[in-house]
Amino acid sequence: MSDDMGVIVKTNARALIPLIGIFGAYIVLHGHLTPGGGFQGGATIVGTGLLFLIAFGVEEAKKVINKDLYSALEGVGGLIFLGAAMLGLSIAFFYNVLWHKGPIFNGKPGTLLSAGFLPIMNLGVGLKVFTGLVSAVFALSLFRRWKK
Amino acid sequence: MMFLYATILIGIAGLIVLLRLLLGPTVSDRVVALDTLNTLVVAAMLLLGAYYERAIYIDIAIVYALLSYIGTLIIAKYLQGGLT
Repeated sequence: MSDDMGVIVKTNARALIPLIGIFGAYIVLHGHLTPGGGFQGGATIVGTGLLFLIAFGVEEAKKVINKDLYSALEGVGGLIFLGAAMLGLSIAFFYNVLWHKGPIFNGKPGTLLSAGFLPIMNLGVGLKVFTGLVSAVFALSLFRRWKK
Repeated sequence: MMFLYATILIGIAGLIVLLRLLLGPTVSDRVVALDTLNTLVVAAMLLLGAYYERAIYIDIAIVYALLSYIGTLIIAKYLQGGLT
């Protein structure tokens, strides 16, 4: 039994993986304007990893997915969230100092560069969810063989 | 109101498909019923987005259409025996 799927599914995956990735990035970046946000966008981007794993097989995914990099990026995502929370520590924890008198992210409400540290936190959560879920699914698919 | 009537019609079709999902004698019948139900849900989401006049609801329909494709593909690969 071959590991990957047929040529139609593989060609479909080549077309769909960038589409799903771009749409997930849109959901993460517009988390403070439209429905969705860090977790929903990150879970949408995990669809690219799942589609790659299913369409091209575990052997091909083993060459692409580097577990040290994914583990490190998951930690970086958590640190981005904590760092954004620490920015206004002179007043209070989670004080949105970027919104009240920050140099950036203080545009008119409803535009992309508004809402203070919320876009930064959405990016951190999206990175953490994407790398964590892809690592989990990849580890499960590698767990062990049923026979031999 | 036209969009609401169309959504109700799609809901009736969804109930019929649900019957096939519950009764289906083989696994393949159930998978095809699930795939049809996914497409019907996407259509209902689009029509309800037009009924409530919120363009933002279309995003959710796009995400659901993309992810339901992956779900069906995973079930198909499992039935094919590809997950070893």
